[in-house]
Order: sequence, then structure tokens, then C-alpha cells
Amino acid sequence: MRKKSILLLLVALMSAGSLFAQNIQVQGVIVDKKTGEALIGSTVVQKGAATNGTTTNSNGEFSITVPQNSVLVVSYVGYVSQEIKANSNSPLKIQLEEENQALDEVVVVGYGTSKVKDLTAPISVVKTEDLQRRTTGSAMGSLQGSVAGVQVVTNGSPGSSPTVHIRGVGSLNNENPLYVVDGMFFDNIDFLNTNDIAEMTILKDASAAAIYGVRAANGVVLITTKKGKLNSKTQITYDGYVGFQTPVNMLKMASGSEYAAMEIAKGTTSDLAHVTLSSQKFGGSGTNPTTNTNWYNELLNQSALTHSHSIGISGGSEKATYNVALSYLYQDGIMKAQNNYSRFNLLAQTDFQAYDWLKIGYKILVSNSTLFSPNKTAFANAYYASPLYPVFDATNTNATPTDYASSTSIGFSNGAFANPVAAAQYYYDKTNGVQISPTVFAEIKLWKDKLLFKTQYSQKYTVNQDLNYTPAYYVDAFQLSPNQLNSLTSYQEKYQNYIVDNTLTYKDGIGNHHWSAMIGQSTRNESWRQLKATATNLNFNGAGFQEEYLYVSNGHPVASQVLENGTDYHGLSFFGRATYDFASKYLLTATFRADGSSKYQQKWGYFPSVGAGWVLSEEGFMKDQHLFDYLKARLSWGMLGNDAVPANNGFSFIKTGDPASGIFGSTSSSAGAYVPGYTNVNLFSYLKWEVVNEWDGGFDFSLLKQRLNGSIDYYNRQTNNLVFMAPQPMGNPDMLGNYGKVTNQGLELTLNWSDKIGEIGYTIGGNISTLKNKVDNLGGLAYKMTGISEFPTIMQVGQPVNSFYGYQVAGVYQTQAEINADPIAVANGLVPGDFKYKDQNGDKVLDSKDRVILGNYLPTVTYGFNVGLNYKKLELNVMFQGQGGNKILNMNRARRLWYSDMNGDAQMITHLWTGAGSTNEYPSALGTTKGWNNMASSFFVEDGSYMRIQNIQLAYSFKLAKTANAPFMRIFVTADRPLIFTKYSGFTPEIGGATTDLSNTGYDNNVYPTSATYSIGCRISY
Amino acid sequence: MKRLKYIPLILLISFTVSSCSDFLNKLPENTIPSSAINYTQLSNMYAPVSGVYRIAESANPGLVHWMDYGIRGVRGDDLDKGSSASDQSQLTDIKLFHYNYASIQSFWGTNNCWNDYYGMIIDANSALAELDKFAANIPSTDATNLKLNLQYKAELRFLRSFAHLMLARVFGNIPILTDNSTIRTIGKSPVADVRAFINSEMDFCIANLEDARPNQSIHVGAVTKYSALMLKAKICADLAGSDNTSTYWDQVISATDQIINSGKFSLYPDYYQLFKKPGKMCNESLFELQFTDFGTSSGDIVEPDAFWAFQGPRGDQHGSPISGWGFMTPSQTIVDYLNSRNDSVRLKTTVLFTDTKTKGTNKYAVTPSNDTIWANSDGVKYFNGKAYLPSSQMTAGRTDYGENNNIRILRYADALLLNAEAKVRKGQSGDTPFNLVRNRAKLASITGATLQNVLDERRAEFACEWWGDRFNDLIRTGQAATTLSGFVVGTSEYIPIPQTQIDLNTNLGK
Repeated sequence: MRKKSILLLLVALMSAGSLFAQNIQVQGVIVDKKTGEALIGSTVVQKGAATNGTTTNSNGEFSITVPQNSVLVVSYVGYVSQEIKANSNSPLKIQLEEENQALDEVVVVGYGTSKVKDLTAPISVVKTEDLQRRTTGSAMGSLQGSVAGVQVVTNGSPGSSPTVHIRGVGSLNNENPLYVVDGMFFDNIDFLNTNDIAEMTILKDASAAAIYGVRAANGVVLITTKKGKLNSKTQITYDGYVGFQTPVNMLKMASGSEYAAMEIAKGTTSDLAHVTLSSQKFGGSGTNPTTNTNWYNELLNQSALTHSHSIGISGGSEKATYNVALSYLYQDGIMKAQNNYSRFNLLAQTDFQAYDWLKIGYKILVSNSTLFSPNKTAFANAYYASPLYPVFDATNTNATPTDYASSTSIGFSNGAFANPVAAAQYYYDKTNGVQISPTVFAEIKLWKDKLLFKTQYSQKYTVNQDLNYTPAYYVDAFQLSPNQLNSLTSYQEKYQNYIVDNTLTYKDGIGNHHWSAMIGQSTRNESWRQLKATATNLNFNGAGFQEEYLYVSNGHPVASQVLENGTDYHGLSFFGRATYDFASKYLLTATFRADGSSKYQQKWGYFPSVGAGWVLSEEGFMKDQHLFDYLKARLSWGMLGNDAVPANNGFSFIKTGDPASGIFGSTSSSAGAYVPGYTNVNLFSYLKWEVVNEWDGGFDFSLLKQRLNGSIDYYNRQTNNLVFMAPQPMGNPDMLGNYGKVTNQGLELTLNWSDKIGEIGYTIGGNISTLKNKVDNLGGLAYKMTGISEFPTIMQVGQPVNSFYGYQVAGVYQTQAEINADPIAVANGLVPGDFKYKDQNGDKVLDSKDRVILGNYLPTVTYGFNVGLNYKKLELNVMFQGQGGNKILNMNRARRLWYSDMNGDAQMITHLWTGAGSTNEYPSALGTTKGWNNMASSFFVEDGSYMRIQNIQLAYSFKLAKTANAPFMRIFVTADRPLIFTKYSGFTPEIGGATTDLSNTGYDNNVYPTSATYSIGCRISY
Repeated sequence: MKRLKYIPLILLISFTVSSCSDFLNKLPENTIPSSAINYTQLSNMYAPVSGVYRIAESANPGLVHWMDYGIRGVRGDDLDKGSSASDQSQLTDIKLFHYNYASIQSFWGTNNCWNDYYGMIIDANSALAELDKFAANIPSTDATNLKLNLQYKAELRFLRSFAHLMLARVFGNIPILTDNSTIRTIGKSPVADVRAFINSEMDFCIANLEDARPNQSIHVGAVTKYSALMLKAKICADLAGSDNTSTYWDQVISATDQIINSGKFSLYPDYYQLFKKPGKMCNESLFELQFTDFGTSSGDIVEPDAFWAFQGPRGDQHGSPISGWGFMTPSQTIVDYLNSRNDSVRLKTTVLFTDTKTKGTNKYAVTPSNDTIWANSDGVKYFNGKAYLPSSQMTAGRTDYGENNNIRILRYADALLLNAEAKVRKGQSGDTPFNLVRNRAKLASITGATLQNVLDERRAEFACEWWGDRFNDLIRTGQAATTLSGFVVGTSEYIPIPQTQIDLNTNLGK
């Protein structure tokens, strides 16, 4: 009550003050301290009265009326703000200084903040502007090529998640970094609108990430969402773009005649029949059919719409800040089917200084998404399908409801050759997701500004509902809905996670000695539960298909398809950090985290780290040199853990219910029934904590009058007790185990040059990182086979993890004489046109001993660079991104092992061996069907290097009117991913990772192609 | 007022400290630990056994994967690979005994076969361990449950033995796996030891299994004493080979006599229907894998993966459910052979024709059950008739080829013919059992049947069935080299152990 009266009195006094104080008009100009150039759009606000403010005009001038002796806050993005006392009417010339390489910038580190100059670990900060330049649906996708040591692999499918590697592969069981959004843990940030991100900090090494202990083995990405600022006027911002996506690097498949030529050359009855039947049924004569269906053209749109809109209102008074933002994203898929993604987001935040010792606040993030997934099988079908039959066939009278053509009409009898367009159309998969993540905190000053207690509760609640509907259809005996009935599978799933964090931070100093200490405790719960039910024969009673009718109860429920599953993990952690610096010259940081997890048999793990920094440029001996403006050396070490393993490891368990029960009594007269059964899975592994041990050393520097800035780092990270899924002998399911030790090491270099030539400003920046991955040991084993069994990968000591393994193709046997002269060719019954494999050990027998490592999916180099130009209000940015040294196993080509009649890429099909001297690269047409030529070999392992123009943007910024308060506008045209340079023979060398078993990474299983996006957009702020 | 601020802090610290100990002791969701099973609840004792039957009815692991049948069956002269020439062409290499090809060493199919059967053996071993735990909770006075426990173990040991038999027929020298902890290190046993192992296992099974016809068992269709006697007879015949003086022939006679003299078994009168719905789990059945669509037009179904589709008629079948990939087709040799014997019942049962009639430019044939089979562009003339379930016998609304049919494994006819063979080899008359089988196929009796008569009858009776009997019989009787082109005694009998398995357990390469 007393407080309230004081508050009222204060308000009264203040208003009185403004009434009675003498107002003066202050005029001035705001310029860059270094260049003297006017800073257009700088803000000038009366301190303590946020509503009274203005911005500078196109000459950098402003005019504001304020009470005498009040304080003006002058600020401009990227510059150090200044406070100036308004006590004279004479024009002011205010010189703003550019933030010194953002050294004074405060960045978020785990459970706290730090000044950039005090950091002892390599931490990358990503600016929102850089993210906003890209028109990708996901924030991480926007990061591709921007940060040294961070590899992002995007996927063209709308609403899909990019794969992110930080410094190679730390854990094979889960390669994604930990995302911490305002204190809450997430596995991905696909739900976030890029415009809602205020700051993204990437903790790359163990010394920085160790504060997140067990979840940090793959690095940590810290995200702070936007907040209003204290004492700022209300700002309304709109961001939006509209554009279209178009597939790039379309794979050229063999045409009808090219495919026919291969089939004829095979010389078998069946293969010839594919050709002659096509002529008979669909036009042409004899072995010259006229049908030429380009299935990818039939399946893909040449352009697909995408647009995005965000609007935000933020501001703050002396005690409170607020930010409310709404955004909408729509992304159409390029597949000609119901395939799109839309997302509606809401962000609301308020902080309030309740008492001088208590600050409270909350943030709510709501994300509402709808995804229509495409039938990915259709995409694979399009690769296999013969171009010799059309999409529709009026004579296929058994087909219903649409008269799609059937591959059986030209002699195929396998579902793999199903009509791709029918596969895409007879498919309905809608996922509705709602995610609500609120955060509430209280910050208590216990002792001046020195001792601060913060408690925060964060929650993530996600509900996904997926309706997967198949209409009743028939194309042929191999492409039909089961029993020609419709069916519906409905999934409901719920994620419910919470984290409670309590931290106590102490900061103090005497003279040049500064220190801080933080201790904290965190309680975590992550749970997931899914219910799935299926029904067939949904009876709409002639009402036709409506989404609203899709309920399992409208059909015949399938008992064995009612499945429920769930997980529930608990985690408990204690952690702390201490820092010390002397005159910001000698820096020391140490952290420690103890993590308890309900997942491991070994309940507790301990993760320490230390880091030291030395700012050499502050030393006396550096005073006389003029090269370096700033130079800091860093050295750090830390340990990290990984608990992303399923909890059901470590003890034997049973599988029970109908799927584990035998059928008895199925006789001529009786239908039979389940007799309750169970299967005991008693082969299991006892998992220990997977622990990463990392060293990092580096320099941050700024030289040539701050025109060249950069950093260089060397890291060495060793993962011990490496957990991965490995195949087991004798049909035992793949099993997780602690199989060994793996090292990732490399260099990361970031350089940025910015300067001006006359009125043209330019920046050239780039980053490059190298990665050397090596298996150090495998618990005594010499090697361990992984991957797809027919095209395996191998873990071998001294080699990179999961390297492709097989025979080395030496060429193609050209003549019978060559066959006769080679005992290997004779023993394997080869003919000219078959591959010749290298007999590695020279024993004249080709066997398993002749297999060698054929490459690895991990790139040894990843890089990105950009060039920016600005002239007055125009800005041009071009960004490149690429990688090298990685290999891809082209599973599309390899599928010929199973589907010998399939079509193929034109490059291969038109270059098959046709006689002596024709080619030394591809087998003969008949050869493509033989097991010999489809063994795991270097033929299927291709170079995955690429360089891509990631982004081109031309922008024009201006004010909508001459008045000082006029809205500010920026319009831009953008081309995202317009061009790629690669030798790879598939759709895209960006093939992402397997979601569950990472030993299957690097296989191109026909991924959704990446598309280019061309868009136009604007940003208006007022 | 200001002191208020210490209250939340103190509360939080005390809350945290008090709650942390139990917080981490959490059972995983939706996973019943084996350790929580109540082994004193003896009514559950059959559950682990039923679980292994379900595995047997499955493909991967299990007994019914289509590829495993392809590898086993293609080497006999009764079956061709079928399909298009290039589809799964390694099966053709196997048929031509090109086992030395590097492409066979790394063939996915042989690895698949290995994993399917050993996977099932691993599950059987686990289930046996479960029964041990139940046994430990049976009071010594409870004779009924002690006996049941032994019976259930015998059922599992029968299934485990059968999986070993299938593996030995394909790979020869293989590990005898009775202890799952050895899978990473176990070495091979000679094929003779594998057979001896199965033989002794069958002695245990015969002593402990239920004395009933399988379709009379409480768990209708479970293996019984007679299933074990049948398997024993087969393994003893393998052990005896073509040595007429071998005492194993006496064991064959003894085992088959017990089956015959029990009076429980009879041949199903209609050989054509034996393999169709009317013949499911009939009195001829000694071991059969059961499947069902529960008699309903939609909803739940238990099917043997793609086992039937694999063998169904290829090509455009104009919307008929009698359709499939067209593999494992009757060879011209077996068609000619059955024709030459005037074995019309077996011919119409074993072979689906495709081109006996013409309509416009299309050729087709009509089955005895009035289904139309259209000719295909691959030039495949015959399909496996024993895999054929007529559309008129399918449950209304169901459309998958063969669904709701069982897979026949061991039949009484085998007991009769092995009994006859052993007796002839021992200089006795085998006419009685021999002619029972002939007469059922509407063939006239033969008096004084010779060994070759009996072997010919086996060839016709079991033609195109799924367990590799024809190839095994040719090896067992020493006729393989003269009958199969390209067969070399000593190397063509067995396929090498898959490279993938040697990579995972180097002892298998020794």
C-alpha cells in the first residue's frame, strides 16, 4: 500500500515536472565518428519518457522538444549509444562510434551473459539481419554457410528439418545440437519464426557447452527471442516476402527411346516385351515405341508459391517492456499433390520491474502448423518407372476411380514399378501441430547489483495430430489400396516437457580484479506419448470425401493396428561457473556440471571445463605496433555428455500383445485365434555415458584499422564410449553399444573485410572449416560393419567413421580375350561389358579381402563466403556456400540390385557399354542386371562436393516521407539457392541424415529435391 | 518487505534437496522388464511358446521369407527361378551352382536367409530360458505343470531344430546355437553334427511332446510327438544317406511305424484340395504354419509376408486376385515328368497353366477352380499350383493372393513314403504305405515297389513344395550329379556362409 502511494506521488511529480519545467528545442545532426557520414534513421529519445522521441532525417538531422536538463538517448543500430544532457539550444553534433567489432556486445552464454571481449571460448553470434536475408522456412536453414564449423544440410520438402552438424559428428546416436530457446531445451527450432529471433549464439566447443553437460555433445545453439527495450518508443515492424520455388538441378532420366534401347540390348524375352508391348498398346511400331513419359515432370511443379508475413509491436517504459508478434508462413511443395506447409506463430513477452529488487516476466510462444506431407514413395517410383507407359490409360478398365495406366500393361509385375502419379495422388497425410512454450521467471537482487537470484520455469507442450488417409483405389494387382478399401490411420501425440532452473549469480571486483560466480540447479522432465489407430472401409455413405469425416469410428477398426507408445525421462543437474579477469587482459573461466539422468544405468555424469584468454593487444609490448588493433589468444578444454539414447537399453524386456502371439486353430472350418504370447528380448547392452573431451585453441583479431576482423581456431574433440547402433550377427536386431573412441579435429577460420571506396561500401567475408574424423579404437576390434548390408559402411581404426566399403572398379572388360586372360573373370563367369574389379591383394581371386574403403560421407572442408556492396540506399549481397571431400553412395543406381528393370539417369543409360572400346565406365545393358556389377563398389560411390550460390539479395532502403518520424522501409528482391555446381549424378548432393540410425547417413535414397526460391519482399518499421 | 525475497529462494532449495533422490529412479515407459514377470503364474507358461510360433509364422526373423524359400527351392529340378530373367538373377547363379561367384558371397538373399532362421533360433533360446524360470516356480508335487513345462520346452526345441535343419540344408556346416551369449564368437559344426544334434533333440521331443494329432492338441496345430517322429525320420534318412546297411534306416522305420501305427493319421482324400482351404490343418498335417484373416472382410489379418505373392501368376491378370511376382515356377522337367507318369491329379495340383486357350491375341488358361490365368510377356508358362488358393475360397472382400491359407510343412504322406523307402532298403516290402500315397493321387497300386519307384513317388508327391526336399533327396540318394546339370559332388551341396556374417563373427570364416 505504501509503495503504491509512493508510486502515485512519483507519477504526479513527474507530470508536474514536465508541466513546470522549461521546455527547450534541441536540434542537431548525428554522424559516424570515423567517417563523418550522416546516420539516417538514428533514434533520439528523452530518457524516462519513451513516448517523446524522434529519428534523424536523410541528412542525419533531428529536432526534439524536451524539458531543460533532461537526458537524450541517442542510438543507432550497430553503434554505441550515447546519453547527452539537453541544456542548450545551440545545434549539437553528435558523433556515434561504431561498436568496436562488437567487443562490448553482450552475448548470451549458458545461464548468463558475457561480454564478447571476456570470452575464453569460441562462440559464434549470428545476427538477425543475416538470418532475415534468406527465404527459408526454418531458421537453421538460414544459417547454411554462415558460421565456421557449422554444417547445415537442408531438404527441399516443406516443413522439413535441416540436419545440423557442429564440428563434425560428436555422437553417432544423435547428431543434432541442443537448442535452448529462452532456457527451454528443444531438438529442433523448426517451429520458430526467424523474425522472432533476437540473437543466436552457437557454443561450439566443450568449454562453452559444458554448462549444458549431458545434452551438449553435439554443441549448443542458444536462442533469445525478441523483447521490448526499456525506455523506447513503440515500434511497429512488418516483414514479408512472396516468392516462388522452382526445382534446380533437375535429374535427367533416360527417355523412352533411351530406355527402350537398354531393354532391347539386354536381349531377354521380358525386357524386349516391355518395348514391344508399349508399341502395341501406346503407340509406335515394333521396337520403336513413341511413349516417352518424363515421370519427374509429371510429378513436379515448375513453380510453387511461398510467402511469409510477420508483424510485431514492441516497446518499453521505465519499468516494463513488451513485445507482441504475429507471423504466418506458407510454403507450397513442388510435388503435384497436396503438399504444403503453413505455420501461424504468436509471440508475447512482458517483463516488469515490480520492485527495485524484483523483476518478473513471462514469454509465450505459440506455434500452429499444418503440414500436408507428400508420398515420398512416389518420388522413388518416378526413378524406377519405365518411361514407356503413359500416366493415364483409358483401356485400363479395372482401374478405379481414375484410369491411371498400369505398368503391368507393358509386362511389369512388381509394386516398385507402380505408377508414380497415382502413388502421389492416392495419398493424404495431414499433420496439425500446436506447440505452446511459456516461460515465466523472477529475478531477485539479493545484494545490490552483485548478487542475483533467478528462477525460471519453462514448459513445452506439443500436440500433433496426423491423419493419414488412403482412398479405395485400384491401378493394378501391385498398386491398390489393401482389399481395395479405403483406410485411415490417425495418430495423436503429445510432448510435455518442463525445466525448472534456479541460478544464483555473484559479480564483484576490486580495482583491476573482476570476478563472478554462478551456481545453479535444474530439474528436467521430458515425456512423449503417442496413440495410433487404424480403420478400413470408412463408410461416408456416398457423401464424398471430406476432411471432417476422417474419424476411425467411421470405419472398421483394425485391432492389431491400435498402438500406443511413450517415453518419460527425468533429469536433475547441478552446475556452476566462475570467471576471473585482471584488467580485461587475463581471462579465466571454469565451469562444472553434474548431470543425473533416469535413462542410464550409471545415473550420474560429471562435466568440467576450463578456459583461459590473454588479450595481447592490451600488453605494453604491443602498444607500438600498428598492425593489430586487437588480439586475443584463447585456450580451453572441456567435457560433454550425450544422453540421447533410448531408455530401454540396459535390461531385458518383453514384447507382448497380438503381434507377439501365435495363431492356433486356423483350420478348414475355423478361423483360428491368437493364443497370448510374448517374446523375450534378452540380448541388450549396458550403456555407459558417452563423453566428449575437447581442446580448443584460437585467436580473435582485428587489424588494419579494424577493417579486417576474424578468428582462427583449432579443435580436437574425442568422443569416448562412443554409442552407436551396430549390426549384430545371426539376425539379432541392431544394438546400441559403447563401441569405441572417435576423434574429430580441424581448423576454423573466419575473416571479414569491410571498407569504402568513395561512396561505395563493401564487405568481403568468408569462413572455412576443415574436419578430420578418425576412429581411434573399437574396443579391441579391428573393424565393425555398419550401414546397409549390401552396400555396407565400415568402422575401421584409423579411418573415418562409417566409411563406404567395397570393391574398386578398375574398368570394364572389353573383349573375350581379356576375359580369358583373367582368372577372376573366368571364375565368375563374366563376359565383355562386365566390371573389372581391382584384385587388391593380387591373389587372382576376387573375394572379401579385395574390398577397400571407398570414401566417407563427412565433408573434409565446408565453406561459405559473401560479398556485399552498398551505395547510398542500395545494397547488394551475394553469398556462396559449399563443401568438399565427402562421398555419396548413390542408392538410386544401387537399387538396380533389386529392381533390374528400372529406368535410370540418362547419363548412365545412354553411356552403357555396347562393344569393345565404347566405355570403360559403365557396364553393358545386360550387365546392369547382374549381381556381379551391382556389388558394393566404387561405381556407386560418388563425389559429393558442391558449391552453391546460396543467396543473392538486392535491397533498397528509404524513408516513406521526409518527416523525421516517417516510417522506414526496405524493399528487396532475393534469389535463394539459384545455382549449384556439382559433379554428383543424383538430384542433389545435399542428402541429409538418417533420422534414427546414423550409420545410414550418406546414402542417397532419393531425397526431395532442393528448390530455388525467387522472391520479393519488404520491411517497414515505424 | 524486502526480506520477502529470501522466501522463494529458501523454498526452492529445500524443495530441490528433498525431491532429488527418487526423481531419477524411473522405469522406462511402455516396456515391461523381463525381471518383472511373475513366473509363479503358471497359467502364463505357454506365452513364450506362442510367441515363438508367431516368429515362425513371420518372415524376418521367421520361417516364411520368400527369398529364403527361393534359395532353398531353386536348386531342385522341380522349380525354376521364374519372373523375368534379370530379376533376382543371383538365384539363377545359385541354381547353376556358381557358388564361387563373388556376387553370391555378398548376395543379400543368403544373408537374409541366415538372419531369418538364426533370428528365430535366438528367440527360441530366449523362450526356453523363460520356461526354466517358470520351472523353478513349480512345486515338485505339481506333476501336471512339471510335465507341461517339459512339453512346452519340447515344442520350442522342435521349432529350433527345424530352423537348424533349414540352415544346414542351405549352408551345410553351421553353428549349433543353443546359447545366445555366444553369437559373436560361435564357430561352425560339421553338417553331420548338426544332424546328430537334431536327432537327439527329437528324442527329447518324442519323450515329452503331447501324444496327439496336431489338430487335436489343446493349442490346435501345435507340434506333437508325431511331428517330432517325422522330423526324426527325415534327419535319420539324411544321416543314413544311400547306405542301405546304415542302422539309421531302422530308426526311420521305427519312427514312421510309430506314426502309422498310432492310427491317428490319414491322407486327405482330395490331393488338389489338400493345399487349399479344405485341407487346412487336416488329419494329414504333422506340422503346418497357421495364418488367418479371422473370417472378416477387412481389418486384422495374419499373413506370411509376401510368401504367396512371390509365387503368384505374373503379368497383367486383369484385376484378378490370382496374381503375384511369378517366382519359383514349376520347371518343364517336372511338368514333363508328371505327364509321362500320367499323374494327372498331381499335375493339375502342382501346376497352374497360362496358355491353353486363346482369346483374340491373348492366351490364357482356366484353373480347375474356375479362375482365369492370363499369359505373361516374360514367357513364364507355369506357376506353382500348390501355392494357389482359388478366389472362390477367399474370404469375401479380401484381395491378397493366398491369404488365409496355411503353409504346409510336414505331411503324413512323407511318413508313409519314408517308411516304404526304409523298408525297401532293408529288403522288406514297402508296398502298403507306398500304395496308400499312390492311390490317393488316383494312381494304380504297384506290387513289389523298388527303391526307384519310391523315390519317383516322392518326387511327384512333393514336387514344388517349399522346404527344399527335392534337392535334399537328390543329395541324400547320391543322384544329384546325374540329375542336375552343373552339380559337382563335394562343392555344389552347400552355399558359402554370407560374407556379412563372417564380417560380424570372424570365427565363421575358419
